[in-house]
Amino acid sequence: MNMSEYIGEGWKHLLLIFGSLIVILPFYVMVSYSLKSPAEISQNTGGFIGSQEMMVSERCVKRAEPDRTAIENARGIYPGLSDEDIRSTLMAEIEAQCSSLPVVFNYTTAFSEAPLLRYLANGVIVTVSIFLIQIVVALPCAYALAKLHFFGREFVFGMVLFCLLIPVHAIALPLYIMLAKAGLTNTYAALIIPWTISVFGIFLMRQFFMTVPDDLIDAARMDGMSEFGIVWKVMLPTAIPALLAFAIFSVVAHWNDYFWPRIVITGDRDLFTPPLGLREFKGDADGSFFGPMMATATIIVTPLIVAFMLAQRRFIEGITLTGMK
Amino acid sequence: MVQGRTGYWFAAPAILLMIIILIVPVFVAAVLSFTDYSLGSQSANWVGWENYDKIVNRSTYEKMFGASIIYVLVVVPVSVGLGLGAALLINSLKFGRDLYKTIFFLPVMAALLAMAIVWEFALHPTIGVVNTFLQSGCGGFAEAFFSWGWLPFVDGSQSWYGSRCAAGEFPLWLGDKQYALATICFIGIWQAFGFNMVLYLAGLTGIPRELLQAAEIDGAKSGWERFRLVTWPLLGPTTVFVVTITSIRSFQVFDTVEALTRGGPSKSTYVMMYAIYEKAVQQNLMGIGAAITVVFLGFVLIITFIQRYLVERRVHYS
Amino acid sequence: MAEIQLSGIRKSFGETRVLNGIDLTIREGEFLTLVGPSGCGKSTLLRIIAGLEAQDEGDVVIRGRRVNGVRASDRDLAMVFQSYALYPHLTVRENMMTPLRLRDLSVLQRLPVLGRFVPGTSGVISEISEAVRETAETLKIEPLLQRKPGQLSGGQRQRAALGRAMVRRPVAFLMDEPLSNLDAALRVHMRAELSDLHRRLATTFIYVTHDQAEALTMSSRVAVMMDGDILQLDTPAKVYTDPETQQVAEFVGSPKINILDAQVGSGGDINAFGFTMPVKIPNGPFGAIRVGLRPEHLTVKSAGEQGFAAVVRHIENLGSDVFVHASLEDGKAILVARTDPEGAFALSHGTPVSVCLTGHAPLLFKTDGSRIRPTTTEPAMAPLAREVA
Repeated sequence: MNMSEYIGEGWKHLLLIFGSLIVILPFYVMVSYSLKSPAEISQNTGGFIGSQEMMVSERCVKRAEPDRTAIENARGIYPGLSDEDIRSTLMAEIEAQCSSLPVVFNYTTAFSEAPLLRYLANGVIVTVSIFLIQIVVALPCAYALAKLHFFGREFVFGMVLFCLLIPVHAIALPLYIMLAKAGLTNTYAALIIPWTISVFGIFLMRQFFMTVPDDLIDAARMDGMSEFGIVWKVMLPTAIPALLAFAIFSVVAHWNDYFWPRIVITGDRDLFTPPLGLREFKGDADGSFFGPMMATATIIVTPLIVAFMLAQRRFIEGITLTGMK
Repeated sequence: MVQGRTGYWFAAPAILLMIIILIVPVFVAAVLSFTDYSLGSQSANWVGWENYDKIVNRSTYEKMFGASIIYVLVVVPVSVGLGLGAALLINSLKFGRDLYKTIFFLPVMAALLAMAIVWEFALHPTIGVVNTFLQSGCGGFAEAFFSWGWLPFVDGSQSWYGSRCAAGEFPLWLGDKQYALATICFIGIWQAFGFNMVLYLAGLTGIPRELLQAAEIDGAKSGWERFRLVTWPLLGPTTVFVVTITSIRSFQVFDTVEALTRGGPSKSTYVMMYAIYEKAVQQNLMGIGAAITVVFLGFVLIITFIQRYLVERRVHYS
Repeated sequence: MAEIQLSGIRKSFGETRVLNGIDLTIREGEFLTLVGPSGCGKSTLLRIIAGLEAQDEGDVVIRGRRVNGVRASDRDLAMVFQSYALYPHLTVRENMMTPLRLRDLSVLQRLPVLGRFVPGTSGVISEISEAVRETAETLKIEPLLQRKPGQLSGGQRQRAALGRAMVRRPVAFLMDEPLSNLDAALRVHMRAELSDLHRRLATTFIYVTHDQAEALTMSSRVAVMMDGDILQLDTPAKVYTDPETQQVAEFVGSPKINILDAQVGSGGDINAFGFTMPVKIPNGPFGAIRVGLRPEHLTVKSAGEQGFAAVVRHIENLGSDVFVHASLEDGKAILVARTDPEGAFALSHGTPVSVCLTGHAPLLFKTDGSRIRPTTTEPAMAPLAREVA
């Protein structure tokens, strides 16, 4: 490399670093706020991790504030003290109990203030069910379209191509009405049913199966395998790479989806998916809750980001799968 | 024929679900769009074109189309351009490629709703880092530079940055109807361009090195000439695809609007998906929601047909 | 006159050394072939000449001008790539116009629509069209000019790629395995066409191939390369009949030359597998050597004749020729001999035969592979002058 090449390379890095800073900014803000105390957030001080001085949670204090019975009960422990003194002693104890590091406060509040674990579990239930049902429906169909001869096959494939044009989000309203009529809103079923059919998955798997040699299937038939067995024992294993990419595509889309859960889940907190939970949090948050809220956001975003970091190439393949449409 | 029967059995569940989940709703939407149906009411009245009439004539919906179309017209070219630019830059790097690729792809992976909320914090008028940062640049070198006062014929104090600094106040961003849509667009671009970049990077690996070398030998000396002669035409199929998918996704923008502006201020960010949600789900006006759905599907179909046309006409080379 | 001179060209990719100091002079108007097994550095050398790759050391001089560091587009060379590298979105005509447009039109004149209004453009464009037409005529591809590369067959693409290289009348044509993507019949046909084209254009061709048959059939001279060195640079006939090393002898010729271990006695007699060669090397070296016998210099006779006693293992009938694979001493060595179809008629697997020399002197090599040139039984050959500076 000569001098001018170094300069050229340098300029490119300068531009890309500038872009990277803007891209990373919200991630920085998110993680930073999830570590800092409310005061530091509202005054914008403390750098990235904040000073991490012990802080007292006002909500916690308010909740534990000693009432008459508490003071009566405490009389036995502190004999001879006036009510006022007992009260202030108790308050000091409570404050000590309610003080914690900001980072601990933010993350524990994130879990205690709302059933975040429940939301996360819902997210897992919904994404995994969607993916499994998609595969169970799509794989045999893709196999039939690619390798079996039956009357009307071209028509069915035409239908798949046509359905590729319809984004599910776009027909959300009639789907919502149909689910409401069936009495299924505010159920897991409502979250899952519209996504059970992935025409894209069918299309993708069919294209993949087309490349599998017929000889392999004929050999399996000669070995006495049923067509059903061929789908799950021969085709499925050959399709693992494509399936993995599709899995990533599907899981990322549905873990992050906000629009559809927002429409069909209207109040039952037990069914909230992580993005809904976070939105709810935002709805009733006051200034002091920015920290826990950002902690929630961090918790929701982290699983996919970490998985992505670990298997970058697979993820990029999976997400760009849509590029094959 | 045994194979034939198995074929039907295998395809049947998928066909059934396709019909119920994808095709029937389109017709349901089409039919409902001519009624005043609402959930819970026993009957619905046939209202003819009334719903469409409203969509065309009411200023709310005029604003809705305006916001949606501006959003698409801003987000698509910018995110595609940035995606291409980033891909070309990264592709020509000697080291650090993977690092930038990872960073630019992060927004694609993160739940948009969560990141929208974070952006709202960052853009908070008083305590947000963006305005704090802008504020801190005032009076120093940054103001001198970005107020462009050093350029000929530019009065620094009249420029955007210069005048903001002088007044000591920076935009409310999401709370200001002048800036709200632009801010929503910015978040959309922030989220989408990494995806486009990755598609372009894949497209670039499909360009044979020999073609670029042939161009060099043929006398294309500058990078720009080689780009014009080889890279850009060969990225044609990628571009058609990237533009299509970004357009369809941009039409579907919802998360940021719902979480940050709820269509406001004064309907400046009232995009179509949010309109459907607000009218139909929140206000139980299914007829008008269905009509917007139909128009929305129309847009998506038009975009897809343009894509199919371009793909078939021009972009298959070999 | 020396046209392209390479001196001391070295190149490594990381730890791997690809070229170890190549010296080569390419004459004006000759058809020089760089041939060698894959990985021998021939393509790298061609790309260094083209300017697509930079050498680590050494000089490239084209028509007296040192071009180290001069970029490919300024070297006035044309290249035909293995994949043809035609611009897939342009018609054959546009493909062929590209090098001329890029050179003869200014940046302004090349602007998509406005360019036509820049003074002088139309004149240049009509000159370019004329040049393209002439070249297309030479290559007989006029009917293809409006098509895109995707609509052409392999052979037609090959011609279009040649056309794009030819319109410019460059100092030299560089060709990187241009025939390897064609089917066998077309490849043989294109060899003849390329030779013919070379005669008519009288321009320097530098041709890279791994196929020794291509090298032998077309070239004025052949440079045999292995492991980053030129082992021999000579006319095809010389390389074949008078190889300088065992490696060259083995690389050139199909079927491959037979190499047998032999012993040289004190009198200079050469003995291999119980047969004494009709050649002596009284001056040595003595002891173990190797003997190279080309299949066409051997024939199969009935057992007992003067020759190697062998057993037929396999008969390869190509129609015009029959190659008999015969094993010596129970398979310790295999000899491949050519016979005419009639001679092979009586042979079958397991037939004992004698493999006899047809009168050509065998090629002798030391155990390190270098050539032994007998001085007594044959008139001494003029020492081979390597063309290397």
